[in-house]
Amino acid sequence: MSVAPTRARAEQSPDDATPPIVWRPRRASAAFSILIVDAVAILIFSALSNFVFLTPQSLSDIALDGSESVLLCVGVAFLLGAGELDISIGANVILSSVVGGKAMGAIDDPLFGSLVGALVCAGSGALVGAFNAAIVTRLRVTSFIATLASLGIVTGVAYVITNGYNLSSVPLSLQSDFGVAKLAGVLPYPALIAVVVALVASFALRRTRFGLHTLALGSSREAALRAGVKVRARLTTLFVLAGACAGVCGFIDLSRYASTNLSGHQTDALAAIAGAVIGGTSLFGGRISVWGAVFGALLAVILQDGLVVVGLAAFYQLIAVGIVLIVAVSLREFAGNSDEPTPVFERIRVLIRGGGKARSDKGGRLPGMRAS
Amino acid sequence: MEPTAAASMTPGARQTAISAVGIRKRYGHVEALRGASLSVGFGEIVALVGDNGAGKSTLMKVMCGVVTPDDGEVTLGDGARVEAGRFNATDQGVGVVYQDLALAPHLSVLENIYLGYELLQPRRPRWLGLLDRRAMALEARAALQQLGISLPTVEVPVSLLSGGQRQAVAIARAVKWARRVVLLDEPTASLGTRQADIVVNLIRNVARQGLGVMLISHDMDRLTRIADRIVVMRRGSVAAEFPGASVTLSQIVEAMLGGGSVGVAPINGAPPR
Repeated sequence: MSVAPTRARAEQSPDDATPPIVWRPRRASAAFSILIVDAVAILIFSALSNFVFLTPQSLSDIALDGSESVLLCVGVAFLLGAGELDISIGANVILSSVVGGKAMGAIDDPLFGSLVGALVCAGSGALVGAFNAAIVTRLRVTSFIATLASLGIVTGVAYVITNGYNLSSVPLSLQSDFGVAKLAGVLPYPALIAVVVALVASFALRRTRFGLHTLALGSSREAALRAGVKVRARLTTLFVLAGACAGVCGFIDLSRYASTNLSGHQTDALAAIAGAVIGGTSLFGGRISVWGAVFGALLAVILQDGLVVVGLAAFYQLIAVGIVLIVAVSLREFAGNSDEPTPVFERIRVLIRGGGKARSDKGGRLPGMRAS
Repeated sequence: MEPTAAASMTPGARQTAISAVGIRKRYGHVEALRGASLSVGFGEIVALVGDNGAGKSTLMKVMCGVVTPDDGEVTLGDGARVEAGRFNATDQGVGVVYQDLALAPHLSVLENIYLGYELLQPRRPRWLGLLDRRAMALEARAALQQLGISLPTVEVPVSLLSGGQRQAVAIARAVKWARRVVLLDEPTASLGTRQADIVVNLIRNVARQGLGVMLISHDMDRLTRIADRIVVMRRGSVAAEFPGASVTLSQIVEAMLGGGSVGVAPINGAPPR
């Protein structure tokens, strides 16, 4: 097969009907703009706090605090990309930590108990994910309703098991050697897990059939079906993986606090969705930005920790994240086509010039796209 | 794509690519198909026309295996039957281009062409599902070029293409995986004049490659230019057949509207009530 002529032809003779398109990598830009927002937020808080916020200690605290939300954001981003939702993951974190805590309490050896506990946490989370998947794929209940129901069920089960009291049957060595320990004194181990998961997820999204099918499911379920994508199997895998992410979060929770946190995680699911969407993942499927989800999750943590450092109540963080969500999504809308992320400055330029058109049809070309 | 050899056969003596015989289909009280029969040869373009509700789309769905007929059967030239009740019969050599395109707008041209048929990296465990994007890009470019479709890059998301380009990608996808026949439902319906012309040329190229083509269309003007045969359906069966080159528009319309009074003889299938 001779290839060179093909390429030459493609470059030299554009289609008569439309000018050729200069096209940029689509996922990188959204993640990059949120990374810049993260950096700016860190710099502002640093300036306001006499640079206390910029110390290695403070940054590694952000990494530790962010590890759970990064895991949840990445898991949820994949589900959103496939056109599904999971609002039960916060409850899933709680139940997984409860089940894992029970397992740890049943084993005397601290190391063995911790290892078994980690597997039980992840397994329990995956099981809840499989439960969600079964409701969605077998009973044909939409994922919003299915996971709303399991949010209640899972929370209830966690309370029934514990009778409403937090478990403290966690080996203390787990906390000292893992939960609050750092690799080389810099990177907290829980954050290391989050980084590894994000790397694997990013690779899987771009380079594997699984990533391609996930995007296809969210982009056009009909097209995926007709192309012979195994829709049920793929959806089940996605729910199970998101559940497993929640399970790992449950384990991190146990290891950080040496206890369960029954009253926490109420807003985790919505925060994860917010982080993923801020990072450029589409709420309606077809587009996932793994690193956008990572930086989107970190933005919430930076705001929370930063507000504390500058002496404001952490409650303002919820307000700030809400505003960021609105701004990020509206900028994307103003840029003309929410299907393709454009860099922040491009969105702002369009916003200021007033050239923003609300959602053009899908065939519309981005303002940022130049015809050469 | 091997069956190109069939293209060299003389017209009129074409090998049958697909044939439907005596197809009946009833939806509740509505008899959508009443013994419709139709065959398409390799390298032949057959246009299926008829008024709304004449049964064109149902017949096409039966032929590609999406709809199970109540009676009758669809066979491929080699005697194999099209198994019904599936999403498509692509693995039996029948490619379909649906009216609503069925492309994933967020995915690139390349990803859409290969969706469901991805090439995986050799020498890596298959369960990892590692995509061989380089090989797919090379093959996709070659396939597009063979049909005379030129796109700036196969990496562009389909949502950024024009309507004509999207239709071209949908056709390229169907052709890439079809070995016998490509069925198209209203391929030019939503397109402007210029883009419709491009798509019509593309369809001609598909037939030149040796594949059978059957298309449903209301675009009589373009149809008469490219179709080898025009099959008119009325009330669930085939009412008339004309050779594409010599037929006039009024002849087709008369047959479509059931011009019994004008004297067009039904040549196939059950006469209307």
